[in-house]
Amino acid sequence: VQPPEKPLQAEEWNKLREDFQLPEIFEEVMLNSMIRCNSPIDVAKSLLTHVAKRNGDIAYNVLVKYLTLCVQQGQVSEILDVYDIMKVRFKILESGAYNLLVRGLSNSDQWRMALTILDEVKKIMIPSRTCYESCIKAASRHQEMKLACELYNEMLAKDVVPTLDVLQSFFDFSRGMKGAELQKELFGILLYLRENQIYPHKTFMRSIKLWFESLPGGNWRGHLTNIKDSGQCPVCNHQLEDSKLTEEEYSNLSERIIRDVIHGTDTFRKTSPKEFEAFQTFVENRLPFDIVIDGLNVAHIKSRRMQCENLFDAVNCLAKENARLLVLGRKHMLTNSANWKREIMKEMQNKADFFFAENISEDDAFLLYATLRSGKHCRFVTRDFLRDHKACLSDSLTRHLFRKWQRGHQIVLKKKSFPSVFSQQPAFRYDCVVQTTGDTWHIPYKDVFEEKYSYQVPRKWLCIQQKL
Amino acid sequence: MQSANMLLRKIIRSSVLSLAAQHGMKKDLFPLSRTLSLSLCLKQDKSCEPSEKLDLDEWKKVMKSGLQEEVSETVSEPKELSSLAAARETLEMWRLAGRAVPENISEEQLKAFMECPSKSAKKKYLRYLHLRELHKKNDKRKMNEKRERRLEAQDQASKTDETKKSPFVCLWSSTMDKAYNWRAAQSMIFGQPLVFDMSYEKEMSVREVTNTVRQIVMSESCNRRSVDPFHIHFCNFKDDSLYHREFIKHYKEAWGKLLITVTDQCYTEIFPKDKLIYLTADSPKVMKTFDHDKIYIVGSMVDKSIKTGVSLAQAKRLGLETAALPLEKYLLWSTGAKNLTLDQMMHILLTLKDTADWKKALEFVPKRKYCGFVNKPVKELKKTLDLINTLKLGKGREEVEKQFAKNYPKKYKLK
Repeated sequence: VQPPEKPLQAEEWNKLREDFQLPEIFEEVMLNSMIRCNSPIDVAKSLLTHVAKRNGDIAYNVLVKYLTLCVQQGQVSEILDVYDIMKVRFKILESGAYNLLVRGLSNSDQWRMALTILDEVKKIMIPSRTCYESCIKAASRHQEMKLACELYNEMLAKDVVPTLDVLQSFFDFSRGMKGAELQKELFGILLYLRENQIYPHKTFMRSIKLWFESLPGGNWRGHLTNIKDSGQCPVCNHQLEDSKLTEEEYSNLSERIIRDVIHGTDTFRKTSPKEFEAFQTFVENRLPFDIVIDGLNVAHIKSRRMQCENLFDAVNCLAKENARLLVLGRKHMLTNSANWKREIMKEMQNKADFFFAENISEDDAFLLYATLRSGKHCRFVTRDFLRDHKACLSDSLTRHLFRKWQRGHQIVLKKKSFPSVFSQQPAFRYDCVVQTTGDTWHIPYKDVFEEKYSYQVPRKWLCIQQKL
Repeated sequence: MQSANMLLRKIIRSSVLSLAAQHGMKKDLFPLSRTLSLSLCLKQDKSCEPSEKLDLDEWKKVMKSGLQEEVSETVSEPKELSSLAAARETLEMWRLAGRAVPENISEEQLKAFMECPSKSAKKKYLRYLHLRELHKKNDKRKMNEKRERRLEAQDQASKTDETKKSPFVCLWSSTMDKAYNWRAAQSMIFGQPLVFDMSYEKEMSVREVTNTVRQIVMSESCNRRSVDPFHIHFCNFKDDSLYHREFIKHYKEAWGKLLITVTDQCYTEIFPKDKLIYLTADSPKVMKTFDHDKIYIVGSMVDKSIKTGVSLAQAKRLGLETAALPLEKYLLWSTGAKNLTLDQMMHILLTLKDTADWKKALEFVPKRKYCGFVNKPVKELKKTLDLINTLKLGKGREEVEKQFAKNYPKKYKLK
């Protein structure tokens, strides 16, 4: 439906309505298309007047649609009028209308009104994150940083996840402002990024940089850089945090993996208690290993070659440096077949320890267990992302820990160069999170248009140091 | 400058449209009428004025005036709401906003709604209630229509008033029931046992248990109607469990008279272990033929969240043999999980028992899940698939290959 260009008289509306296929929803459809075309507000008003005259009442959803149009065009007085009408007509509103009201008012001089509405929402439900977002932005736009921080902390306390936009607005609007309190809050936001392993995008990074450089008397300087593989920052020569887990984190993670991933609700789902026990004694007798290999995963790396040849190459390659290897496989690898030649298997078994699980057991769980038991230096080889095992962990903190450990300890064989030049993607030596030493900050960031998979970490960094 | 341009363009567009509307013309006149429409727009601006006398804010007056009495009421009444009432109020507002929300909601449902852990869970629950309400309404409407039609038919019949002659007394359904029960009773003595393992209650949500019971009720009824029924065992059945309550809801007083064996014992205690075969889609072994001397076990579980390997774990724990239906051998699988509903399983097993014909039995697999039957050995299928691939040429090929490789690992690889 094409909305009319100018306000219509009642008869004209009536005619349009009768021509429409479904007269019951005519107003809704018409208002929707007005929102789409951003029609003048007077046209919508004339429609409402027509409806009010005919029915003596206007339905809630029609009012909300009208409100959407008002918010879209920033018609503050209209928004307030609609709010008054709604308040009288209905005891409470639903979240959609509240969101619109808060959004519409927060962008105007009446932004304090948005705060009172937010308070009203809090009485009934947990406000949505767009509600908080609009209010925080409005407060910081008017330099009321304290209020903004309060709202932000309240939001976190209610488990409402802030958008990067909100976080960025803090840095944008407090540029050049003094105050230890505020500075602490903003450092707190950076630590929030660290704890949740969030990487800011380029424009956000720029806001952070400008804020640091604008700090009066701080003498902060920011540089964009790439961190070397060794983990050293080329700008300030600072060594980034190690990717290794602390003792406590490490023992915590291995405990949780045994509990949640291997046993889960039922040990029989991935293995059997008998088999797991056998594996445990096997591992304990031969500890520690340097590299644990997922035999079947490596064996499938090149589909044209025999599976045991693939594995053989990998074992040969990794065995060079006198490393203690453990290869995990399944029993079917032992039966002489086209893909698994007995002689080659024999030869491999001289170079590495092998454990063969039942054909219906999951060998990945064993892989994790053996690597974790061997200690921090031990790494593992598989192309699997281990997502399903990560998903078994019950809380996000442990999942992050798992990711971090995985980044530091997983070796991924590259298909192309294998087996001639056996290259492996280096396990990261340094930890890829926002980090600080007090007088330096290192913040990884991603380009806005860069596609980032969850297993990838950004390679670009912002280095900020304080020149005293 | 740019904004001025925009404005100009907007004006042009709008006036042309109204012009086109007046003359019933299409938009392709646009380039021609550019100068013309500009002048026209100026004229129109003036023509707007008369409609200005239309009071645009009149609706506000209407809205406010019509509610004067109600206002005084709401002001006097205290604003504090109990959480239940507040929830009811929120629901009402959602309904007004046009969301999928049921019109009527009971206290119990309201409590269940409030206990939903997340926003999306709440939404889903309401949607479910809403759809159920719609279905119920529709059914009621259809019933009423049917009744009216029947009454009409009766009216006409009474006018013609014909007497029918038949050698049998019309007692179809109850005689059939008797015959069925006779067969079921025979199966209780001589029939091949079929076990439903009822030990999965804690793996399921309430709704999944409800669905499970419904599927079992359907399985039982189709078993009763078959030529040679199974002797159904419900094993690991705990009295006063959720299963039990749901069964009573379905069967009412017939629950005590069902010709099946219900026990809290495990099947391993009733039958010799070497005769038991646990049917599970996760099994590495594929069933070749239906064995009349074995006792098949079906896990009574509806698995809406993905919990692979639960029934396989159960079989492993008890050290039982397992088997999966040879779906891939006979069907060109397309989408969907390989676990079937309990009533489909029952149909398949009954057909196998009677005919030993896999093709006939697997007719009961839902049609949406497979493309067709594999009527030739896989080797011969290669030719057809190659032909399809060359016809599709490149683009979709990889997709087909992947799909095929997934379904038929190792056996055969496309070039």
